[in-house]
Amino acid sequence: MEGLGVRGKALVMRDVSFSYPPAPGGGAVPVLEHVSLEVGEGAFCLLVGHTGSGKSTLLRLAKPELALAGERGGAVEVFGRDVSRLSVGDSARLVGFVFQDPDAQMVCDSVWHEMSFGLESLGTPPPEMRRRVAETCHFFGIEPWFGRDVATLSGGQRQVLALASALAMRPRLLLLDEPTSMLDPVAEKSFLHALFRVNRELGVTVVVATHRPWPMVDYATCALEAGAGAVREVALGPLRARPSLGVPPSPAVPDAEAVRADDVWFRYSRDAPWVLRGCDLAAACGSVHALVGGNGSGKTTFLRLVAGLGRPSRGRVRVGSGLSAHVALLPQDPKALFVCDSVAAELREWQGRAGYPDEDVTDVASRLGLSGLGATHPYDLSGGQQQLLALAKLLLTRPRLLLLDEPTKGLDARAQAVLADELWRLAASGAAVLMASHDPNFVRQVADVTSMLFDGGVAATEKTPSFFEGSVFFRD
Amino acid sequence: MATTGTYPAFDGLHPVVPAAYFCGVIMVTMLAFQPVCVGISLAGALACSLAQRGCASTLRGLRWQLPVALLVALANPLFSASGSTLLLRLGPVAVYAESLAYGACMGSVLVAAVLWFEDASRSLTSDKLMALTGGAWPTVTLMASMTARLVPELVRRGREVSGAESACTAARPSTAAGRASSRIRTSGVLMGWSLEDSLVTADSMRARGWGAAERRTSYRLYRFADRDSAALVGVVTLVAAAGVAAWIASSGFRFYPVETALSPWWGYAPVAALAFLPSALALGGRLGWRG
Repeated sequence: MEGLGVRGKALVMRDVSFSYPPAPGGGAVPVLEHVSLEVGEGAFCLLVGHTGSGKSTLLRLAKPELALAGERGGAVEVFGRDVSRLSVGDSARLVGFVFQDPDAQMVCDSVWHEMSFGLESLGTPPPEMRRRVAETCHFFGIEPWFGRDVATLSGGQRQVLALASALAMRPRLLLLDEPTSMLDPVAEKSFLHALFRVNRELGVTVVVATHRPWPMVDYATCALEAGAGAVREVALGPLRARPSLGVPPSPAVPDAEAVRADDVWFRYSRDAPWVLRGCDLAAACGSVHALVGGNGSGKTTFLRLVAGLGRPSRGRVRVGSGLSAHVALLPQDPKALFVCDSVAAELREWQGRAGYPDEDVTDVASRLGLSGLGATHPYDLSGGQQQLLALAKLLLTRPRLLLLDEPTKGLDARAQAVLADELWRLAASGAAVLMASHDPNFVRQVADVTSMLFDGGVAATEKTPSFFEGSVFFRD
Repeated sequence: MATTGTYPAFDGLHPVVPAAYFCGVIMVTMLAFQPVCVGISLAGALACSLAQRGCASTLRGLRWQLPVALLVALANPLFSASGSTLLLRLGPVAVYAESLAYGACMGSVLVAAVLWFEDASRSLTSDKLMALTGGAWPTVTLMASMTARLVPELVRRGREVSGAESACTAARPSTAAGRASSRIRTSGVLMGWSLEDSLVTADSMRARGWGAAERRTSYRLYRFADRDSAALVGVVTLVAAAGVAAWIASSGFRFYPVETALSPWWGYAPVAALAFLPSALALGGRLGWRG
């Protein structure tokens, strides 16, 4: 069929424009202007572009019940049918949608209910529903956790569940909006593998919006780039390039000890399994120390103990003298730190308690690229900007020991470079940085020392270059 | 024993069977106010708890249940000075044996009812409860499921938010007023976070055809087979028999002014059969299990 070139078009946009409704006292904000594109049936298409380039808007235009408020023009067709005439049910049967946030897009409390949610909405008869849920779970290997609660799943499992529950309705086109940006690289790979099978084995057309295309290029068949209101086709090859983070200012000279953990054992309740079992670790001031290891290896737990958010059952965690009043922890989800209505207010929230001057606020905001965003609501920022705002808030308290939990989640290449600069700057000033990360590319370029956590303890601690040279499995 | 504590009664039957059983047994327990019936129900509830929740968690529960029962037993004579056998006189208050017995009976009903509810919650997980309502009220069931997801998530996030603030030592509140405002702050953060998430959840529901059909259908996790209807008939019959027996026993019994004679032992057989059914099933299941 492919050879004859008679395969249909899965998604066609003709002369599509979209602009947000005019803000009070301003004009309408155009996002897309006269965009035309075609995605062939069976394609795996990447939609790349910087934050704010209109990728999400473009995807939502193909799913009328998700369309944003604003002015639109032009025609959008899915498999030859005008989307504005599709009923909610037809749209659900034809086009699946997977969102970015693995938590928020879950609707029900248990895996089986989440799987059947869409089919229940469509009023599928129970015997047919049973069969489709069974098939879909079998395809994705969900059976072992079919009876579990959604709350007990990892982020990666939730995202696979979101994909599976969309596919239970057997859509022919699947749209995904930054589906892996909140996953660690290991979970990202297994999600992409599942997506690849959906595309190649089931023949579902896939369009993925992403600002981090490099892990997906090997699966993709074509790519579109959004930017400045337009969309154009680009070659896949150049998208393979990983972000280069620049060079550290000067090799850091580790001095006094910042953190020392001796034979730390920890579990969350009396009958729970041990998370840490005899964990020893030392981190020095003036260096960036990375913790790597799989999900559940205890990285987050270890950071929490260092931050004083728990007490080891046995052993001790000591924080270097004079540092304990200057600790800061960047949690996995930056939203845990946001309380104000604007970026500017957010940056000043702790000014009273921590006593930093106004110049610091301006300085940090400009370094982290938040200068023009003072009046924006933190929730209107992109995931990467939210992460940088949370970091800015912590940097303003002048931490001497900065703990970061998966800081590169959701960051595009530019934001990663900004983050790397800040960590180097902090280390050069004599502070200690301890970060848990799944991202080998970032760790290799940024950390001075790398420790691998495994089975509740530290399996190896080495200088980063020798850690990566001696490893066959840690490749980015 | 490793399996102790994970042996729900009526395992392998449609949830409507345990639901009917526990409704029946709790009703009989609360309505039959007669020492022997209450004693049997209490013993049955304890046996059921030991069989399906294990020794440790049963004892942990009894640590607060027994003192409460004792308190009720001792408090009753203070409020109701009726009876004929005077035990002692505390100033103006006369303590009668009948009144003490009445209090003990009341305390036992309380403990038995609590234990039966605990046993029921072990057998009837939220999944099973939803399977009961799913056919008739799919949307209500869905809402229950959403709530069951949101409440623990809110609690977990609350901990995360206050943890994130207190981990940042330079910004930690130092005064009592500061700590109070930090609690308000936590709820503010949670509110914003949840509202933001609910927009995505709503989109996610719409993308999967929310409102597409006139009437939602329900995924059936449990099948209602012939075995289940037989078991249901059995349970309902037993509940009815026990109810009649308990009614006869308790209507012929008075605490005051003098405790009347009890009915003959066989009059309690249906109540005992009802109360010990789940523990007998569990025991039978374990002994009869062949690998």
